[in-house]
Amino acid sequence: MTERQSFAVVGLAHLVLLAILSLGLRSITPPLPAEDPTPVDVVNLADVPKIVHAPKPSKAAAPVKTVEATAPEPVPPAPKPEPAPTPEPTPIPKPEKPKPLPKAEPVEKPEPPKPAKAKTEKAKPAPQLLDAEALSTLLDKKLPKAKVRPLDTSALAKSIEKDLPKTARIDPRATATLIAAIRSQVAPCWNPPIGGADAKKMTVLLHLDINRDGSIIGRPGIVSQTGVTGGNADYARAFAETARRAVLRCAPLKLPPDLYDQWKAVEINFDPSEMG
Amino acid sequence: MRTLPLLVALFLTTPALAVIRVDINSGTAQPLPVAVPAFATASAVATEAGTTAALGAQVASVIAADLASSGLFRPLDPAAFTTTVAPADVTAPQFAAWRTVAAQALITGNVTANPDGGITVGCYAYDVFSAEELARQGFVTTAANWRRAAHKCADLVYARLTGETGYFDSRIVYVSETGPKTHRIKRLAVMDQDGAGHRFLTNGQSLVLTPRFAPNQQTLTYMSFANNRPRVWLYTIGSGHQEAIGDFPNMSFAPRFSPDGASLVFSMSQNGNTDIYKMDIASRHLSRLTSGPGINTAPSFSPDGSKIVFESDRSGGQQIYTMNADGSGQSRISFGEGRAGTPVWSPRGDLIAFTRLGGGKFRIGVMRPDGGGERLLTNAYQDEGPTWSPNGRVILFFRTASGRGGRVDLHSVDLSGANERQIKTPLDASDPAWSPLLP
Repeated sequence: MTERQSFAVVGLAHLVLLAILSLGLRSITPPLPAEDPTPVDVVNLADVPKIVHAPKPSKAAAPVKTVEATAPEPVPPAPKPEPAPTPEPTPIPKPEKPKPLPKAEPVEKPEPPKPAKAKTEKAKPAPQLLDAEALSTLLDKKLPKAKVRPLDTSALAKSIEKDLPKTARIDPRATATLIAAIRSQVAPCWNPPIGGADAKKMTVLLHLDINRDGSIIGRPGIVSQTGVTGGNADYARAFAETARRAVLRCAPLKLPPDLYDQWKAVEINFDPSEMG
Repeated sequence: MRTLPLLVALFLTTPALAVIRVDINSGTAQPLPVAVPAFATASAVATEAGTTAALGAQVASVIAADLASSGLFRPLDPAAFTTTVAPADVTAPQFAAWRTVAAQALITGNVTANPDGGITVGCYAYDVFSAEELARQGFVTTAANWRRAAHKCADLVYARLTGETGYFDSRIVYVSETGPKTHRIKRLAVMDQDGAGHRFLTNGQSLVLTPRFAPNQQTLTYMSFANNRPRVWLYTIGSGHQEAIGDFPNMSFAPRFSPDGASLVFSMSQNGNTDIYKMDIASRHLSRLTSGPGINTAPSFSPDGSKIVFESDRSGGQQIYTMNADGSGQSRISFGEGRAGTPVWSPRGDLIAFTRLGGGKFRIGVMRPDGGGERLLTNAYQDEGPTWSPNGRVILFFRTASGRGGRVDLHSVDLSGANERQIKTPLDASDPAWSPLLP
């Protein structure tokens, strides 16, 4: 390559570079006036028509101005053999459902409502937790079962009799073993919220009713919760739900069948204060 | 009605039955596994941003990325589940199927084309194991603006499952840098919190520093060297209008808005001293908050507007001080080893983030407003300039890599010091500021 040629090459290279640079600069130089952010309008989603009710046209996402659906949508159990999702009132903000009237929907029930009600109340050993709302939803849920197993009052009485003396003489060692067994099964499933402003200052006590096969009856109820202040209701709800999720996720619990009477009802206190 | 006495008897005896009580004092600190399948659409309708079916998949992936970035959620790989969500499944999910893939929460929804060309994104969150609906909300916007609808859905989910407000529908302003150290071109740039929608606001003709959002997010304040006169400026997003806040004879810098947006605090140098001033933006009335020798700078309001944290070298090295909003009651809060600067008050009010200088490093730390409880969150060569996520849970800062020509870029870390992530920018990036949540 002669000197002249190399000059030409270098000159050309400079031109190319200049062109690239100026093009490149042009593409980034003009200040793009940012637009105002396009608004996003928040709308409430209409309640889903319940399958139980009637074939209404579904317009799930219609931007209807309805009151915020704080109450969990009662998932209709209609065609599903699924582990029935019991609609339970959200623990913290009481659902504002006006009347449990429409709940009495299951018309096909041949069962007289009264005994069924008695049955459901029996199933709930924490009477102070019962409110009309919970009862009506429970009723809704339990009715199908009531049909299969009509209430046998003599059996009920017998079971109570059977219970009384037994629980009166609980073997402390057996209890300790049971507690350890439950703890070791539930703790790994507990995923408490990390790093919340009130993390570690909150505890929740759940009540569980357990079937003989170790599955949980309904949803664990909140007996009490500490660390709840006026300002942290959302966190408190999320926190309690992590505890409930732990229980449901780890079920069925594997516990000695011969001690069923001792673990058919259990209270679990969730306290993250010692977590690292 | 023989059952009634029985029931009474049962209720009376129940409390006497000793119920086993189990105490659980530890769990696992694992991100929550969530499934975020593609959002459903009744029929794929074309929009300016693609079909509603395509948008449904994109919305889901933005939500999943948001949730994953928080470190609190672990979105399942869509390849792990074959369950596609039909429109009817949105409101009646197949919980059993989601249980089998070990999803604990299900985020689903739909994208519907509106007659005006816009879209409605319906957003639903479910607890898989209790088969319960946790939240639902619809977001109506233009099709082109679908990302913000997705961020809003992610915020809804985050808030419902953690009990804290979200931070995904927010933006970041920062200084984009390019070129050699001696001829550095610095431009203001803004982008979504996840790096999308990046754009430059200034053309780089003047050096710019320390951009900060006003609470209304439509105005920025920053320092510019325009006309070789380093002064505090305001920039209106949308119109692109820029103005200096005053024709001060001396350098003014390190501006920040008050929480109500009505005033600015910044530093101004005069006769060898640098002091903090407050300016009422409407009247341009100026009041001096600090006086005396040394450099007083980097002021930042507490979220209630009652106090200001700032840095000063009045005691020798750079340290952090607080004062009342009128300048009274100044007291030093940082002690510890080394120096401390660039304090920023958390939007929660409970912490102050700052840069700890010492041991040949710059590190990001937090402390309480009384100076106690100091924790260092990062440990790299040079991390500085913290800014808070709108919910006060994540801190964004810029990191300079060691060595000549080390890249400068943006990173985030959460309050526990975990979940450190890089936020990608087209060029080098410094001086970030996180916006409040968009309305």
